[in-house]
Amino acid sequence: MHAYLGSIWNCRFFWLSLVKTDLRSRYRGSVLGIGWSLLHPIAMTTILCVVFGVVFGINVREYAPYLFVGMTFWGYFTSVLVQGCGCFFQGESYIRQFPAPMAIYPLRTALGSGFHFLIGLLLAVLLSLGTGPKDAHISRLFQLLALPSLVPTFVLLFLLGWSVAILCGLLNVRFRDTRHLAEIGLQGLFYMLPIMIPPEQLARRGRLSLVFRCNPLTPFFDLLREPICYGHAPSLMTYTFAATVVLVLCTTAIFALQREERQLIFHL
Amino acid sequence: MALIELERLSLTFRVRQERTIRLKDFILKRMFLPSRNPYMEVRALQDIDLRIEQGDRVGILGHNGAGKSTILKVLAGIYKPTSGRRLVEGRISSLFDIALGFEVEANGWENIAYRSYLQGETPASVRAKKHSIAEFSELGDFLNMPVRYYSAGMMVRLAFSIATAIEPEILLVDEVLSVGDLSFQNKARERMREMMAKAHLMVVVSHDLDSLPQVCNRAVWLDHGRVKMMGSCAEVIAAYRSSVQGHAAAA
Repeated sequence: MHAYLGSIWNCRFFWLSLVKTDLRSRYRGSVLGIGWSLLHPIAMTTILCVVFGVVFGINVREYAPYLFVGMTFWGYFTSVLVQGCGCFFQGESYIRQFPAPMAIYPLRTALGSGFHFLIGLLLAVLLSLGTGPKDAHISRLFQLLALPSLVPTFVLLFLLGWSVAILCGLLNVRFRDTRHLAEIGLQGLFYMLPIMIPPEQLARRGRLSLVFRCNPLTPFFDLLREPICYGHAPSLMTYTFAATVVLVLCTTAIFALQREERQLIFHL
Repeated sequence: MALIELERLSLTFRVRQERTIRLKDFILKRMFLPSRNPYMEVRALQDIDLRIEQGDRVGILGHNGAGKSTILKVLAGIYKPTSGRRLVEGRISSLFDIALGFEVEANGWENIAYRSYLQGETPASVRAKKHSIAEFSELGDFLNMPVRYYSAGMMVRLAFSIATAIEPEILLVDEVLSVGDLSFQNKARERMREMMAKAHLMVVVSHDLDSLPQVCNRAVWLDHGRVKMMGSCAEVIAAYRSSVQGHAAAA
């Protein structure tokens, strides 16, 4: 395992340059540049704020950062899942030419998506600092002080993204329609997560909040929202739940990769 | 000290008849049952025993489908053998399909960097070697263009320049040099000779039997995945030629 991680580190210039190329080629010749990747969460947030604010009378100042953080994380998860499906095909020409540890191709996907996620999160922080904290007695200073609690969150999210990309990449090589099925599954999963429902409404819907609490992805939403929207560090319980989910995924990904790596090229 | 050793090495491809199966079909049509989606076994390499030492320049010949490219990929570490032992010591540089391993949207300079990183270089060493690579390839201003616009010959020039710039201890070449023009072929041969002078090791696959003796000292004749004959270049080429012409005469 150490040797494997060492070999990944050894070709670090290669996969770092691939990530840079991906980012550059995505925005080559486009007007807004990096802005495009934020268009979806910004648009969704604006539309939903208008809908919920005007139609249902929800407090938009609290709801907007809450929703935006949720949408940004959802964007990250969707992109590692869907693009992770194609990561080995994307790297096919390198796999056929040069021997390298296979984990670098999902790593490239995870890092690229992670970059966009961080930009979105930066915007979310600015938005929430602009609208002010939920509890009136917590000053903006406390909001900023809570932000370092995001560091372990980022580590967990990175490992989550990498594992998901590995698993989806391997699955998609074996079963070519994994990507389509994943996209359909994601549509459903969106409504089983606390993204859109304003938190005040949750208390009244017992069964729905039960679904949310059982969903393994929910702790990640809390890990992000607690410091950014509410201005305090997340509880240790939340970290533990999230870490358990990440541990299970990482272990599965490592086993799957060990099993499939040698034969991968024959299935491409 | 560069060394290649293959001991009783075999590689069998197990290919299912329906290769790209969908999950829906997998479950509904029960394609995991061998009867529904049978395996086809392709014995690409069988019981290969090969030892190549420092200073050897080995040519590999054989009919189409004999396993020449496969054996090169096993040497490079891209294909893992089904059984047997593979021992390769030394830094490897390989030239397989010319169009592969290029980031087509990026220009020549960027690709020099990417391929060098994949061969184990650092940004500092790439900066130092960039210009000598560009000079050897003789591509000039074309290096500023995206690689998607290059011809096959231009790609070979670039790939070869990069592959040989790292002074590899083992060079593996698969039939790509024939695409280059005459002056490039001469240059390439000259550079490979230089590399040989530094006592390295080279394995070349080629159908060009006339130029092979100029580069290689030993040759291996592969037939249906087995080593049919191994010896000095001249011997093996002569035997191969007479065998092919003999078949042609009989038929």
